[in-house]
Amino acid sequence: MRSLDRIGRAFEMGLYEYARTPVLLGLLLFLPAYFIGMFAYVLPASEMPITVPGDGRQLVATADLYGVLLVPLLAGLIGGIAGLFLMQTAREADARLVRAGYRPSQVIAARFALLVVASVVATAVALAVLSVTFVPESPAAFVAASVLAGLIYGLVGVLAGLVAGRLAGVYTMLFVPMLDVFFLQNPTVENRLWIAPYLPGHAVTELAADAGFSTDVALAPFAEGLGMLFVAAVLATAAFYRTARVR
Amino acid sequence: MTDVGRVDRILVGVGSALRIFLREPAQLAVLLALPVIVIEGYGYAMTAFPEFPFMRMNVETIGRLSGAIYASAFLPGVMGLFQVISAVQADERLRLCGYDRFELFLVRLATVAAVSLAVAAVSLAVLARTVTVEAPAIAFGALAAAALAYGLIGMLVGAALPRALEGSLVLVFLVDADDFLSSGMVEIDSRLVELFPLYHPHELFQSAVEGTFADGAALATGAYLLVLLSIAALVYVRLTDSRGVLHA
Repeated sequence: MRSLDRIGRAFEMGLYEYARTPVLLGLLLFLPAYFIGMFAYVLPASEMPITVPGDGRQLVATADLYGVLLVPLLAGLIGGIAGLFLMQTAREADARLVRAGYRPSQVIAARFALLVVASVVATAVALAVLSVTFVPESPAAFVAASVLAGLIYGLVGVLAGLVAGRLAGVYTMLFVPMLDVFFLQNPTVENRLWIAPYLPGHAVTELAADAGFSTDVALAPFAEGLGMLFVAAVLATAAFYRTARVR
Repeated sequence: MTDVGRVDRILVGVGSALRIFLREPAQLAVLLALPVIVIEGYGYAMTAFPEFPFMRMNVETIGRLSGAIYASAFLPGVMGLFQVISAVQADERLRLCGYDRFELFLVRLATVAAVSLAVAAVSLAVLARTVTVEAPAIAFGALAAAALAYGLIGMLVGAALPRALEGSLVLVFLVDADDFLSSGMVEIDSRLVELFPLYHPHELFQSAVEGTFADGAALATGAYLLVLLSIAALVYVRLTDSRGVLHA
């Protein structure tokens, strides 16, 4: 119980920190709206063939296809940047918390809860904007895919922050989710490249495309997504533990 | 103050900023490695893509060209952002030493321009290994223009939103939407994309690779840079005033 209280307090403080910066909250609402609104406006209604895991080959509108890909991408971008800066800015504060008696695992749990909030907010805003032009066939699975994308990339961002530093970290979080979700996992590609299944965006993009265009959602990508989340969590936790522990 | 003194001060400022950038081995590695990773990554990712009638070249070449623009534009963009954010205290001290705000802007601009030229040269060299570039000088100009455009945008974002997390978020969203929609990889149903910073450099770059010269795109690129430069100068000089955002 005491442990939960500590995690809750650290989480609460983290939330206060973000709530005190209204510019950040405004950006979290505005940027996804801009991104999806822009794509929906400029992309044509012409159709493209795609492969959907639960439904085989389908013809879908280009704007709808990219709308469906954008929601997990947005969650990944926001989660990734949030994870990166969580690692960059909270390093000293977290070390002080550990000196004050927190266990590193408690600090990590509080930070992870913040990533959950960032992913849920990004998904909610993006889905709300998307729903003006397109509503996914299986909304619950679609939300799960997008939140998972935010969490996985959030943890990748934590790792990038630790390994690459700020400049290279931002560049990595700007480039990798885009290349992964939009290019390597694009459902218009029939024969994916060998590297695609090993990337963080694979399962979540497959699940999002499936949930977007089919009512019969395959469960395998969801299980794979959870597996990827677990792997990312183990790696990020190990890295975070190394940084936050008392030396 | 004499003109020579002013030029000297600017050169000293640029030299210091470049030394700060270059003495970080990680940043130097990013400058050299990212163009290779991005150009090859985009080219590789596009090999599996189907070809569509709206595409002007084969998909792999489109991917590499887009990667070259991306690599050129966004390192100066991120650098411009962090230059402005991290330079607040240093600039304050330089002002006490006699630099005026416009000189400080010129120092930051010249640093971003130097990095822009370097990263454009590296990107072109990486691209030329796999793609025949018919008009390399124009191609270099297009890459340098893309780099400078985002360097200025990065400085603008840094001046208006001088916090790393918020500034990075804005830059990431601008960058990714601009690059993808300007690249020619997807069919576009609106002329709105012509307002994006990378649209005209993309056109100019593609024409240079094909051996033609898109004079309209060149003109639009030049005009775009001029407007961005004016806005960035105005915003930077205003916001670095003693009561400006940078001092908040």
